[in-house]
Amino acid sequence: MLSLLTVALFIFFGLKNSAFFNADFVIYPLIRDAATLSVIGLAQLCALSIGHLNLAVGRMAAVSALAAGAAYQYLHVSLLLGLFMGLFVGASLGALTGWIIVKSQVNAFIVTLAMDFALLGFVTYIYVTFTGATTAFTTKPAGMEFWRNTSWHQYCVAGVCGPKIFPMMLVPAIIAIAVIGFIFSKTRLGRELLSTGSNLRAAKLSGIPVDRRVITAHLMSGLLAGLAGIMLAFTNGSFTAAIGSQFMLPSFLGPVLGGTLLAGGSVAVLGTFIGTLLTLIIRQGLSVQGIGLETLNIALGLVLLTALSLGQIQKMFTAIRMRGRT
Amino acid sequence: MTELSLTIIFIVGFLALVSTSQGVLLSRASLQGFLTYLAVPIVIGMAQMVVLCIGQMNLAVGAMGGVSTAIMATQMADHKVSIPVALLVGFLGATAMGAINGALVVLTQLNGFIITLGTMTILLGVQYRLVRTFTIDKYPTSLPDFGKKNIVGFPLILVIAIATSVVLSMYFSRTGSGRRVLATGGNALAARLSGVSNSRSVFIAHTLSGALVGVAAIITIASLPGINRSIGGDWMLSSFSAPIIGGVLMAGGTVAVYGTVIAAGVIRLVDIARAQYSLDPSIVSLTVGVVVLSTVALSEWRRRRTVRQNEGRKVLPA
Amino acid sequence: MSAELLVESVSKAFPGVQALDKVNLALHGGTVHALLGENGAGKSTLIKIITGVYRADAGNLKTNGEERFFDSPIEATHAGIAVVHQERNLIAEFSVEENITLHNPPLRLGIIDRTERTRLANEALTTLGFEIDLNERIKNLSVAQMQLVEIAKALVTKAQIILLDEPTASITAGETVKLFEVISRLKSQGTAILFVSHKLEEVYEICDTVTVLRDGVSVLESKPLANYKQSEIVDLMVGRHLADRKVVIRKVDRQVNAVLELKNLKTSLGHESVSLSLYPGEVLGMYGLVGAGRSELARSILGLHEITGGEILLGGKSVKIKSFRDALHVHRIGYVTENRKEEGLFLDFSVRKNVSVTILSKILQKLGIIHVGKEDVVASKYVDRLGIKVVDNDQLAGTLSGGNQQKVSVSKWLAAETKILIIDEPTVGVDVRTKASFHELITELADEGLSIILISSDLAEIIAISDRILVMRDYELVGEVENTKDYPSISRSIMSSIHSGS
Repeated sequence: MLSLLTVALFIFFGLKNSAFFNADFVIYPLIRDAATLSVIGLAQLCALSIGHLNLAVGRMAAVSALAAGAAYQYLHVSLLLGLFMGLFVGASLGALTGWIIVKSQVNAFIVTLAMDFALLGFVTYIYVTFTGATTAFTTKPAGMEFWRNTSWHQYCVAGVCGPKIFPMMLVPAIIAIAVIGFIFSKTRLGRELLSTGSNLRAAKLSGIPVDRRVITAHLMSGLLAGLAGIMLAFTNGSFTAAIGSQFMLPSFLGPVLGGTLLAGGSVAVLGTFIGTLLTLIIRQGLSVQGIGLETLNIALGLVLLTALSLGQIQKMFTAIRMRGRT
Repeated sequence: MTELSLTIIFIVGFLALVSTSQGVLLSRASLQGFLTYLAVPIVIGMAQMVVLCIGQMNLAVGAMGGVSTAIMATQMADHKVSIPVALLVGFLGATAMGAINGALVVLTQLNGFIITLGTMTILLGVQYRLVRTFTIDKYPTSLPDFGKKNIVGFPLILVIAIATSVVLSMYFSRTGSGRRVLATGGNALAARLSGVSNSRSVFIAHTLSGALVGVAAIITIASLPGINRSIGGDWMLSSFSAPIIGGVLMAGGTVAVYGTVIAAGVIRLVDIARAQYSLDPSIVSLTVGVVVLSTVALSEWRRRRTVRQNEGRKVLPA
Repeated sequence: MSAELLVESVSKAFPGVQALDKVNLALHGGTVHALLGENGAGKSTLIKIITGVYRADAGNLKTNGEERFFDSPIEATHAGIAVVHQERNLIAEFSVEENITLHNPPLRLGIIDRTERTRLANEALTTLGFEIDLNERIKNLSVAQMQLVEIAKALVTKAQIILLDEPTASITAGETVKLFEVISRLKSQGTAILFVSHKLEEVYEICDTVTVLRDGVSVLESKPLANYKQSEIVDLMVGRHLADRKVVIRKVDRQVNAVLELKNLKTSLGHESVSLSLYPGEVLGMYGLVGAGRSELARSILGLHEITGGEILLGGKSVKIKSFRDALHVHRIGYVTENRKEEGLFLDFSVRKNVSVTILSKILQKLGIIHVGKEDVVASKYVDRLGIKVVDNDQLAGTLSGGNQQKVSVSKWLAAETKILIIDEPTVGVDVRTKASFHELITELADEGLSIILISSDLAEIIAISDRILVMRDYELVGEVENTKDYPSISRSIMSSIHSGS
């Protein structure tokens, strides 16, 4: 149903203003943004799967990007190696967060809030210290331009070329969606994570290593946040302290619209992508109309609240259905 | 951290900074500055405190403040509304925003986090709409003058902030309404069985939060040269640290007004220390983050220890 | 002013269970009326109907002459009914004075009138003959004191009918004396008191009238307690008809090593020195009242709480059980939890996923993928064996009836194929027919070689299927009975172990 809505809105905006269908200036960037924001949505999804929130997704993205950028600038590593280093940093931050949550038994909201605080200044500090006024790592590793600007049109098989509206940046997103979707729908790890989110006590009393799974979920969250951060850095062309500062809201919009439960135990991976796409369509659609940034925010906030209210109504019906039982 | 230890930390910290600044800190100007800049953190700390004490949270504190100040500023600058009226409109606006948050939380039965995330987003859009990229400063000078006034040597706005805290404290300790809100925070089930409406408590807490943001907005517009879209930008995160360090999470059913005020003071001291020693702002953030975490971990540990002590066999005094 | 509460032919059914069937009870002012019955007999359902938490399906409720059922606890309070539950409904951080007047604090223009509040609180305490510092915070009080505060609170709401639910469950003997003094005073003032308790001795000490519930039926209605001997009351509670059932006494070989042995076990929860042995294929019953320490013992064995002394031996060898996972995967001990909804089931997951959660490592294929086919086979196996009524294995656990939910919870553990299984209160809230099928199942499993510890507060159940019965009280084992299936004598032995001493 969400997909129908997405397609409907897509057509709607296009009909309203044909400039919306401009492949190079509207659609391509839209899908590219959707790629990055879906990944951050997946980062939040991993925390949501166990019923936790990760408020530090933006900063984790920033720190990972920082690590990758620094690696490119000072260690002159290859694109892939820098990427892995950045991802490693993100995963480590996530794992650390998860470990703190387990050991201190403090609410994830508070821990990630404090982590966000702590990382906030850290990022600026590093950038200023190392790069002075520019506050950016600008070294571009070989291959960055390719990921940044090209589309699937480059690849032709038997004379049929890929659509030029699909950016290369979509590839890491597709990989992430596929892997995360696979984990949660098919594997034991995914099952254990969702069980932990559905009923922590029952999970523990069924022999699931809940502490380890909490750490794993947060590790995954950090890793994906890192990926999103690096994807954004590639899109922008440089590694700055501002990366990730706008990630918080989209990280929730995608999963929530897509059907992931805030309470844990149920995730919708593909839905996260569609949800993200939907919000970006709304954003771009309104923007093409000439409607400013502010109305956008208003619209997005309203969309979030409406989606949540509808979700609650649906939950109420399910509860009534279940309530008849002792 | 107990109120006593916080007070000690504040006094010791203050004295330490005074001595290392070779008394410069005690100069009229610095002291004035310190006290003035204490006002807003205290009030926004209160705004978050009132919702934290019943297990809710308000992410929209900054956005609400931004919109409220924007309303006040545009009323005065563009519509030539008189100062008192403009301030009142802004204040009522903030209170109304809080009420809407409360209503949404009650109606959807959802976490205050996600609701206020939504309203925050909407309000950020509204703020931009009102202020755009301009800085609004064309309003009567009697306002900034008011903001610089002193009462018995203390900045008026600080006095307002402290007075607000005192009133809030009395609300929670003396009035039926305030006690009912705390009852919800202490034991929602027991509260309900005693005729307290938990929904009403949540609604009141959010509305109060909005009203307090309104007060912070008044203080802000009186003390800044102009209003732009950055107002409130850093309020959200810092609104949590004072109440949390001040002890609001220690147990449901108490507010920690004094603790929040002193904690706001301590955080201010850290800021001054940073300036004095030319430390990096990141250090401040990092420290605050760590302290918040430790405070919560400590209170959590203590709570669990009490639960564990009450578990198992009850060996009671005869 | 003569208080009066009349329950007339009240019935209440839940899906699959008739919780109350035409129950009658007459509670008069100036008397202490005992409400007795085994767990699941319907006592708490009746109390919930009286206090407006549930609505009855049929019958009448007359409170001081007015005939009506209540739609909420607040309505019941306004009608003069107060209940003191086992879980304290007090605000820990508030003072005694404030908690006592919580229901309707005296206000003047919205501000709390402290003088009036103190007066009201003092008045209540004086009436009760109970002294305490009004400014003390509830969290610093003992359980007994909290209970008295709750009773004071009831007085302030002008309650003429007070229901006490297991009031002596967590208090010492000395405090019980104090409580009984307070109850006597209330009685002399014309208050009607309903006293729910398992401790027959205390019931005989303080109560005048008695009503006994069994399986939702009032088998003894509002009769003078003095007319009945304790043993007669016990028979009524347990039900003599069970004695006529065909009984099988199983042969358990106790010459071999015990599969599980506890030697002088000391736990962080309060067990001082517990020793027991469980033999292969044996069903060892553990009987006790709520709060006796049985589940706590089980959880300590399973690595959930700290063992501070003594030994655990498995198959003759001393072991240290480090965690629940250790107990399950290494030592093959399983645990069917007491609260299936909170601790046993994933209500939003399917039956299939609930059953397989303990054996995920055994149904994997490559790359950590769960083999759904194998999972389905396992689920179907137990759905068939236990007769779980489902549309298909993908039905959500939350939509099943209580009995079927419990079957799913048990299936999870059968799938795990443990050597030892500790089962905690398996048939609470389960209908009679499912209860019987569970009993058959447990016996079958024991015949197949599984060693079972059965924790239950249902005397009939314990006697029906255990081979040996241990009695626990106050975290100590106070009795051991070889089960000869002679219901009257067994139940009396057990009851005397429970009620003796102290």
